[in-house]
Amino acid sequence: MFYGQELFGEALPILIRFIPVTLFYFLVPTGISLLLGAWICKVRVGKKGILYRIVSLFVSFFRGTPGLLQLYLVFFGLPQIAALFGADIYRWHPGFFYIVATCLNFSSFVSEAYRGAYEAIDTGQVEAGITIGFNRFQNFIYVIAPLTLKTALPNLKNLEIDLLKGTATAYVIGVVDVMGRADKLVALHRGYGQLWILSAAGLIYLGINIIVEIFFRQTEKSLRISERGIHAS
Amino acid sequence: MHLNYGFILEDFPVVLKALRVTFALTLISYLGAFLIACLMGSVILHKTKILYPILVGFNTIVKGIPLILQLLFCYYGIPQVIKAISETTGLITYDPKNLSYFGFAAVAFSVNYGAYMTDVVVSSFKAVDHGQREAAASIGMTTAQGILYITGPQALAIAIPGLSNYFMWLLKATSLASITNVFEMLAVARASTADNYAILEGYIVAAIIYWGVCLIAESLLKKLNQLVNHEVKEHEHGRTGTYQKEAWRKRNLKGCEPAGE
Repeated sequence: MFYGQELFGEALPILIRFIPVTLFYFLVPTGISLLLGAWICKVRVGKKGILYRIVSLFVSFFRGTPGLLQLYLVFFGLPQIAALFGADIYRWHPGFFYIVATCLNFSSFVSEAYRGAYEAIDTGQVEAGITIGFNRFQNFIYVIAPLTLKTALPNLKNLEIDLLKGTATAYVIGVVDVMGRADKLVALHRGYGQLWILSAAGLIYLGINIIVEIFFRQTEKSLRISERGIHAS
Repeated sequence: MHLNYGFILEDFPVVLKALRVTFALTLISYLGAFLIACLMGSVILHKTKILYPILVGFNTIVKGIPLILQLLFCYYGIPQVIKAISETTGLITYDPKNLSYFGFAAVAFSVNYGAYMTDVVVSSFKAVDHGQREAAASIGMTTAQGILYITGPQALAIAIPGLSNYFMWLLKATSLASITNVFEMLAVARASTADNYAILEGYIVAAIIYWGVCLIAESLLKKLNQLVNHEVKEHEHGRTGTYQKEAWRKRNLKGCEPAGE
């Protein structure tokens, strides 16, 4: 029934070589979105002005439409917008468009996670910062940012894992990562043993996923030290 | 940017017609996922000897593999299974020209979201007070009656925010089925765009419809949540009797609410 078992062993070493590519498309949008999301969160918390309305519309759009559709919109739309300014980006690498689309999508989700965590901060903490003479910047760096990140971490973990799995969709616009290479292998063998090639790709994704999950679990555990201190005293 | 605004208006009814397929796929997958979640949740809650580790492992694997890979698995794999069954037993007829790609996609979505919703079902059953089950037993209810009339409804009320979250995710995720030959909204948008030598117009139409549908669905689900959980609160309020206690509980719970999605 499921013929082509030998392709599993054949495909696995080929696909393993593409893990760095998948990690690249995972880590670059993560880095950009964590910062962009913080800025969006700052604007959204202010609740005033034209910028707030624009950003709210932006977040609502990117949370209300499928990621695949956004990928197509950026892939076909961005070159046309760039052409208005006289730039020719039609032949740029598809990975660029994937990163742009993912950053837009992911930063709106991250900003919501930040916002929920920010609004849960006890005002007493901020006041305590003021009493020991912190200015606004110091208060943000030493009090607000760590508390927000700590509260947002469970949500961020789920979002990061979704992002990692989402990198597999990049192959529809021609990005060659683990999934893209697996798709090419399926085409190369004309559909023979496609299930085994796809299982090899699935195994790789599962492995990366488990590592990312362990990383987040360790981080959560190390952040819980402060709570332990309170209970001990 | 050369947008053909006339074509956007023309394309609107064409894409909107495919919204039925998206809705059907979402609802069928959601019901399947809920059934799978209930079955798996009951096994995990009971800690059945052999099934429990198998299901926990299955859950981890399903959650660790991208949804698109699972869709392709069902897309390529289920026809082979059907073929093998028809060759060995002859119970089903295998017709390669008439395969239900809609059904294969629904199976993939059900299994994937079932694995996620299992956690919601398990945690909400655990959140119901233990005394409720004992109270049900004390008035002579059987275990099934207790679950059906006492603990089940309470668990459902607790689970509604999580379940409605997954409904929203699923509604958006069904667009992935356009890759596996299901003619839902995104696939129709893509086809109509290509047919008319356009580049972007169909996608814009699909984006507007998805956005509208998501906003409406989100507000409806929020109302449902308010309706159900308001009743629970009122009931608890009546039981404890003091307004202050309720206010304190709200304040303590403020930080524990799930943020955003």
